[in-house]
Amino acid sequence: MSRFGRARLPRGEGPWPWLAAGSVALSLLMFSGLLLLLAVRGLGHFWPAPLSLVALEDGRLLAGQVVREERLPGGAGRERLYLTANRDLDGAIWSWVAVDEIAEESHPRDLVVLERTRWGSFHGRLLALEDAAGRVEGEAAWQALQERLGELEALRRERAHLRDRVVVPLVRRLERGADAALAAELGAANARIRQLQARMGGTRLLLESVDGRRLEQPLEQVLRAWRPNAMSAPRKLAAWGHGVWRFLSEGPRAANTAGGVWPAIFGTVLMVLLMSVVVTPFGVLAGIYLNEVAHQGRFTRLVRIAVRNLAGVPSIVYGVFGLGVFVYGIGGTLDEWFFADQLPSPTFGTGGLLWASLTLALLTLPVVIVATEEGLARVPDHQREGALALGATRVEMLTRVVLPMTAPAMLTGVILAVARAAGEVAPLMLVGVAKLAPQVPVDGEFPFLHLEQKFMHLGYHIYDVAFHGGDVEAALPLVYATALLLVLVILVLNLTAIFLRHHLRARHGTVPRR
Amino acid sequence: MSVFPSPRPAAGGPIIDFDPAACCLEIEGLSLAYGETPALRDLSLRVPRHRVTAFIGPSGCGKSTLLRALNRLHDLNDEVRLAGSIRLEGQDIHAPEVEVAELRRRVGMVFQAPNPFPMSIYDNVAFGLRLQGGMRKRQMDDIVEWALQSAALWDEVKERLGSSAWTLSGGQQQRLVIARTLAVRPEVLLLDEPASALDPISTLKIEELIRNLKSQLTLVLVTHNMQQAARVSDYTAFLQEGELVEYGATDTLFTNPRLSRTENYITGRMA
Amino acid sequence: MDITSDIHNRHISRQFNQELEELKTHLMAMGGLVEKQVQDAVAALLDGDSALARHVVDNDRAVNDMQIKIDGECTQVLARRQPAASDLRLVLAVIRAASDLERIGDEASKIARNAIDLIDANNGSRGFVEVRMISEHVRRMVRDALTSFARFDTELALKLVHEDEEVDNEYQAAMRSLITFMMEDARSITPVLNLMWILRSLERIGDHANNLAEYVVYLVKGLDIRHTDPDDLDEQAITRKG
Repeated sequence: MSRFGRARLPRGEGPWPWLAAGSVALSLLMFSGLLLLLAVRGLGHFWPAPLSLVALEDGRLLAGQVVREERLPGGAGRERLYLTANRDLDGAIWSWVAVDEIAEESHPRDLVVLERTRWGSFHGRLLALEDAAGRVEGEAAWQALQERLGELEALRRERAHLRDRVVVPLVRRLERGADAALAAELGAANARIRQLQARMGGTRLLLESVDGRRLEQPLEQVLRAWRPNAMSAPRKLAAWGHGVWRFLSEGPRAANTAGGVWPAIFGTVLMVLLMSVVVTPFGVLAGIYLNEVAHQGRFTRLVRIAVRNLAGVPSIVYGVFGLGVFVYGIGGTLDEWFFADQLPSPTFGTGGLLWASLTLALLTLPVVIVATEEGLARVPDHQREGALALGATRVEMLTRVVLPMTAPAMLTGVILAVARAAGEVAPLMLVGVAKLAPQVPVDGEFPFLHLEQKFMHLGYHIYDVAFHGGDVEAALPLVYATALLLVLVILVLNLTAIFLRHHLRARHGTVPRR
Repeated sequence: MSVFPSPRPAAGGPIIDFDPAACCLEIEGLSLAYGETPALRDLSLRVPRHRVTAFIGPSGCGKSTLLRALNRLHDLNDEVRLAGSIRLEGQDIHAPEVEVAELRRRVGMVFQAPNPFPMSIYDNVAFGLRLQGGMRKRQMDDIVEWALQSAALWDEVKERLGSSAWTLSGGQQQRLVIARTLAVRPEVLLLDEPASALDPISTLKIEELIRNLKSQLTLVLVTHNMQQAARVSDYTAFLQEGELVEYGATDTLFTNPRLSRTENYITGRMA
Repeated sequence: MDITSDIHNRHISRQFNQELEELKTHLMAMGGLVEKQVQDAVAALLDGDSALARHVVDNDRAVNDMQIKIDGECTQVLARRQPAASDLRLVLAVIRAASDLERIGDEASKIARNAIDLIDANNGSRGFVEVRMISEHVRRMVRDALTSFARFDTELALKLVHEDEEVDNEYQAAMRSLITFMMEDARSITPVLNLMWILRSLERIGDHANNLAEYVVYLVKGLDIRHTDPDDLDEQAITRKG
């Protein structure tokens, strides 16, 4: 061992430094392992996997993506799981194939994958494209397909825009009062939608699966087409990037087993922000009161103990409380007072964004209070006395000297609150989250923020897809991807707050140099 | 040194009696207790204007307690009970119409350990000015410079008014604290062992500062360093166990104190 | 307040006690030596013992050394202890007293030198009566001064202040008598002059003893009565206890 190494080893301290370092290493390892697992399984889903053409011993052909390989029950060899798609042709999209039975496996470049709005994906070959103008075959068909898909995408976007931004608000306004001008607008919008619909239709694809079955596929049901075995690496990378982007920006499809999670992202972030807006002032003011203003007697001590105990209450209990008090109690009363004409359909008397935010604010309130109190306690008394001795009132002393010094601690409290709330699922199930709510609670329609709407949440989405979806195997990659996303969202929220705290600390300093 | 002004020393009495007109602070019958524990017992003394008065005494004798009573810092402590009166320029500081914050501006305080705020040097000095509000930047700049000059700190920090106060040395921080107290133009400056946390050179600078400030304010100094009290003060009050034992001109008290208790404390003898 | 002689050994710092005790002890030792010098010088004169007189002259070095030593010790105490109140007054009194004792020593040495001259010239014993009387008085004064210093006795010190007046009167009377003698007999001028120097030295010794008494009052009472007319002294204030 070199002289340096020997000098650095802690001597005479026994195994403790190694244990400590080992614990840290283990924790880091587990965390990075988790991230790695989520990343690989989740992000890997968007990478265009090669499509294998498998010829079995008995002559059957199938085209599918390899998912995994397992030992056969009984130990007699291995079998492979292929995703063969073509639910409309085969009835199922999965195939287990014993490896021994595989005669030949190849990756023909002309194999095509089509992503469809109904019946999932298609694996096979493109024979021809037919429309009113005629029929195109072969390579030309493929080119024409790509062009048409591009046009289709634009038309779909326009239709969605009309539907979401024009028709739905108009309908809502008409519900509140008939108006000839509005009705005319609605008619025009609907007519335009029908026009678009007509333009999207009329084209057909002639498809053939690898085992020879033919299929006529209306083009308007096709979202994307690609030839995975013919794509170069940069193109695959581009496709992967697009896939990830779509995951982040689109709404869910096919009962949450396909499509994106944008509404869930939006809902999670929005709810967390609302919660922070509510909990920060209450928590900070409560902490200030307990530490600075209240007479430090038995009652204050009891309150402090109670606050700390609240932090340990299981979150589902908060959910029940929120349901009873906020949703049925206050919500029901609000409905009676302001939305009686909507009854028996509840407006605020059911779960929604507002109640979810308030419930989580309650949940994280003790955290913020405790963090604020700790921060205040760390401000030395001589700073307070110094301010008072200059003629400051109590309020001025607090606002100009104590609170700036406490700001980092208060932000820590908010960080902790955010981290906790972003991950909580159980209470949300009772007070406001929905399985499917593609409409986000913020839109262009007054009052712009719809607090009574239900919203989607990343954590709940994971739970729902993993446990309530129809085809769990198909949804699993999305579960991983959503989990990764959730971790990243929390990470970003935390980093923002940490950065802010660091900035504040640098400005106001922590402990004086003495 | 002639005794200032027209004192009426009760012939040979240990407590000097000043003409009230020449006095800034008048303490009468002050008794203070923390809960059940008495800290000050029926204390009466007068602090002359524009002079340095020192309170000396062994630990726990009540000198810091007495000092803090002069700017009502005990208000922060629920357990403190107070009897007797303290008058600043004739006005009872505990009268209900007195605004405590304004009192504390008029009677400033410097503490034992320097406690500058975690702000820039400029902001520290301007803190009190900003509390008063409505001051133009130019005016504030002038006052900040004047205060730092008065505290003998200007030359050392004029190039870096924006840097954090905590980058200064201990002695400089203490002078900064004095500067920020001076900025609000107090009438009285209370100093609670202001140099006990500082090195000897800084201590001497602070003492020199105290001597120079005499012309503008009345200074009351608590110290357990007797040589400091002897060097710096004009009048010295010796307290023991919450009582005022002897109070007289510093020169006399340190060469020929009247009471043996005082003599024993000053010369380091056991009672 | 009541300063008693044991007050200087009640400090919390035992070493400080010791240092102050040593100051007093050394001063007393110097005082004892000086007193003996005076006694020997006068005896040498009255007994015609020139060997003794020469011994007195030689011994003056010891007195000077003692003053330097005491001064040095006092400086140390001032520098290291920054004494206050009665401790300070004690140190100041010791410095001054040592200085006066050294002067007494010088005067005793002068008496001895004049005695040698007189003895060598073999000049009778005219004026010895006055010398004997004044020297007794003065010796007593020195001893009383040292006693009052040791005992912090202000009454005794006050007595000394008044006694010095008497000594001055005796001195004046003796001088007049000797002058008359000089005028009568011109041959006696030289020996009489020697005698007058001796008387003058004795009178000076009395003054120095008076100074010692004043230092005692300063030490005990904090009152500086140097240069104050004895009639104007506030005897009450000086002798009152407490």
